[in-house]
Amino acid sequence: MSPVLQSSNPGAYTDVTWGQDTTSSPDPVENHTPWKKVLYERQPFPDNYVDKSFLEELRKNIYVRRYSYWAVVFESAVVIHQLCSVCSFSVIWWYMDQDLLSPQKLCGFGLAFTLLGYLIFDAVDKGAGRKESGRTRWRDLKSSLVFVAFTYGFSPVLKTLTESISTDTIYAMSVLMLIGHLVFFDYGANAAVVSNTLSINMAIFASVCLASRLPRSLHAFTMVTFAIQIFALWPSLQRKLRAYTPRTYTCVTFIFAVFSVSGLLSISSVGALLFFLLLISVTFLCPYFLIRLQLFKDNIHGPWDEAEIKEDLSRFLD
Amino acid sequence: MEGKVYSDIHGEEIRLQQHSYSDTCQEFTVIRPKISFRSLTGCTCAVWLAAYGVFYYTQHSAVLSAAILCTILGLLLYLHLVKIDQESLLLLGSLGLQKSLTFASGRESTVFLEMCRVQDVIINEAISMSRVHYNLCILLRDPADPQGPSQVIPVFQGSQPRLECLVEIYRSCQEILSKRSQ
Amino acid sequence: MVYDQKVGCTRRSHNDSSKTTEATYCPVGQAHVICMVSDFFYPNMGGVESHIYQLSQCLIGRGHKVIIVTHAYEDRKGIRYLTNGLKVYYLPLTVMYNQSTATTLLHSLPLLRNIFVRERVNIVHSHSSFSAMAHDALFHAKTMGLHTVFTDHSLFGFADVSSVLTNKLLTVSLCDTNHIICVSYTSKENTVLRAALNPEIVSVIPNAVDPTDFTPDPQKIRTNKITVVVVSRLVYRKGIDLLGGIIPEMCHRYPDLHFLVGGEGPKRIILEEVRERYQLHDRVRLLGALEHRQVRNVLVEGDIFLNTSLTEAFCMAIVEAASCGLQVVSTRVGGIPEVLPEDFIILCEPSVKSLCDGLEKAIDQLKSGNLPSPEAIHNTVQSFYTWKNVAERTEKVYDRVSNETVLPMNERLERLISHCGVVTGSIFALFVVATFLFLMFLRWNTPDSLIDIAVDATGPKGAWSHKYSCKKSRKTMANAKSGSSLK
Repeated sequence: MSPVLQSSNPGAYTDVTWGQDTTSSPDPVENHTPWKKVLYERQPFPDNYVDKSFLEELRKNIYVRRYSYWAVVFESAVVIHQLCSVCSFSVIWWYMDQDLLSPQKLCGFGLAFTLLGYLIFDAVDKGAGRKESGRTRWRDLKSSLVFVAFTYGFSPVLKTLTESISTDTIYAMSVLMLIGHLVFFDYGANAAVVSNTLSINMAIFASVCLASRLPRSLHAFTMVTFAIQIFALWPSLQRKLRAYTPRTYTCVTFIFAVFSVSGLLSISSVGALLFFLLLISVTFLCPYFLIRLQLFKDNIHGPWDEAEIKEDLSRFLD
Repeated sequence: MEGKVYSDIHGEEIRLQQHSYSDTCQEFTVIRPKISFRSLTGCTCAVWLAAYGVFYYTQHSAVLSAAILCTILGLLLYLHLVKIDQESLLLLGSLGLQKSLTFASGRESTVFLEMCRVQDVIINEAISMSRVHYNLCILLRDPADPQGPSQVIPVFQGSQPRLECLVEIYRSCQEILSKRSQ
Repeated sequence: MVYDQKVGCTRRSHNDSSKTTEATYCPVGQAHVICMVSDFFYPNMGGVESHIYQLSQCLIGRGHKVIIVTHAYEDRKGIRYLTNGLKVYYLPLTVMYNQSTATTLLHSLPLLRNIFVRERVNIVHSHSSFSAMAHDALFHAKTMGLHTVFTDHSLFGFADVSSVLTNKLLTVSLCDTNHIICVSYTSKENTVLRAALNPEIVSVIPNAVDPTDFTPDPQKIRTNKITVVVVSRLVYRKGIDLLGGIIPEMCHRYPDLHFLVGGEGPKRIILEEVRERYQLHDRVRLLGALEHRQVRNVLVEGDIFLNTSLTEAFCMAIVEAASCGLQVVSTRVGGIPEVLPEDFIILCEPSVKSLCDGLEKAIDQLKSGNLPSPEAIHNTVQSFYTWKNVAERTEKVYDRVSNETVLPMNERLERLISHCGVVTGSIFALFVVATFLFLMFLRWNTPDSLIDIAVDATGPKGAWSHKYSCKKSRKTMANAKSGSSLK
């Protein structure tokens, strides 16, 4: 977090840009009263006088953060997770589509993993988060029951919902939506495009699209439930794991990545290779570039910057 | 044809004739050059050639008759509505102002303004299209509010003489108007 | 101050060129014909507008001929004359955003060329970097071989994408401009960095205030009640959010403190909410939009002037307040520390706490009574910034510029490509060539000799006020109605 490349020396600007010696500016009239940076006094200097103190207050790169390579690699795990989620979702769908995986089996596995995850979710911070939010287990059970009942009830509708749309359109739409999910997902960046709701909605939309192309309505139900598990529940568990046990988190990431690559391998070896390369470049290459490019950062600050209001002013209004 | 030679804002030559009937009665006539036979022939030939070109490709004789019709109609409309031959401003010190336009076809349009409504004659600056130019204007008096002008009527809009010419007219107008007020 | 004495017509005196009259009456140096161009002029209100007007008036007083070119404001279009025959062209150009015109770098050329030729302009002085028309005019003036000066009135950051783009455009626009004027040293540093300029072609000439407009109220009676005045547009950049924090804090500390807020803007809602929330209706008065001439009367009602701006190149408001004899509390941002000496201003960091401390200090000083009297403050401050001084210094810039050579076409292209980067430089070089060809076409279509030279109405000795004075009286009467009041 420490500022890097901080320099008060504006040399690069005073020399390079116009390639002239600025000290050769019009000389002050005989008497050597020092020049002052004030406007209210008539000073014996021409209006275009350039003092030695010109651009003295220029600061460069004061808000730049220094990154350590391995920290960035660790942070990249969030991206890996999301990529792997999308990958495994697509693989599972393909298996279901080819009838290689029965919906009952997926449902059973999903339920088992969800219960396991639910226990870990509470165990990891020893129930602190639950106490804070004040949610009871009864409420959790209620909302999950409501959700399951609704999805089950509507799965025949889901099945026929997109019948009139051509399969190619459905595939194109799903791909777009999944890419959108990856783009808008909250990776922890403070940017305007980040929107968690939009991201989850896009993923669910993709899952509904894909589920409608599966053979039976039970398939559709399983697919949508699975999508909820992998796109909504799994990231919140990840967040907790990352905050409390970083080491476990790294392991989980690794295992998850291995599983999704091997899953893809069973469908297409070229796809698996490409996906593997993508994961490697995101984890190792991108952080390297990020750190290299930091050296070229040239951010200028000075008294002309708009001041930032650092306090929270909303307190005066509530 | 006598009269002083000036130029309009497009650089074309115009003539200013000044008839002085009496002390308080003067007429200014700006005469624009007659339509030149050469440009008329040029335009007609161009349209016909173009029409013949189209005819050559389409082999449709209606094109040719349409072209002939177009040129004739175009010429008539041009002479009747666009081409101005002369523009004049008649000042009758006690009666009023009359501005008239004569088109090349002989059509005339005349507007008469009673002296009691006329407040002043001025040279105004105006922005039109992408140029700024001077023109002579008549300020009309508002019957409700005798102090202020109600309407501005531009004169010599069709011939658009340059400032030099306008000043000439303006001076004489002012002389007559000042006599009126005495 | 009469801003607007419109007379919609011109009386022609004689045919000679406008320059002959000037040369005889000019008190110093050469007489220039200056064309001020900006999108911002009356009836729009603001710092740039009054700067242009006041500077033009002083330059006319010094014997130069000045015209102003801006875009049409609703029904105000065409040509108008203001006091002393200052001619204003309100051109029919489309307004795009925030009173700034749309630009294609080409479409305004015929009209601007016509004006430059008919007025025999030799220096084009553009104002404000937010004005597209100003940049257009600079561009065309350089193509026509006229001398160019640019005044920058604002500060700009370097952080976001929009500022990167605007700064690039500024670089292009200023790389071959003869001279640049900034309103404060901070503004100069900022402009030099933004446009990658040689600092020697950048002069610092501050704004000024009319000291006769801003005088203390001699009838004012000191009471226990202390009033803090804020006069600014109520927008984020003026730090109104901070003000929303200061008001409850200070009202809590001092039961006899009152706030008087003049100005309008989107952040008014915050102040209204604060007033509602803390039940301060009797102590916080929101006056809404103020006309320029009302400002003084509002200022003299207070004892302390508070400025919470987050960025400011010069800040006229604090000078006006100090000129009215108020104690000024302001944030230390942009060029503000350069504007007033330390005994007249209390500088604070842009935070609620620091500003409250500053106000507290000001109140203590006021209560202890060891402040100089408003008249004394007024007398000192009025000597700091005068338009006469600004005009003299600007005149020096004009003298300098008119002796410089305008870059010929080939050098201009080279400068563009070498100075603005290959890609941007080449794109704009293309535009330069296009405008040049367009100008050649215009010169062929309407040669300069066909454009009537405009009657010079400027100055006390101009054709406007003296010639035909006998007829003039009748004429003024005739045109009395056409003078419309300032919006």
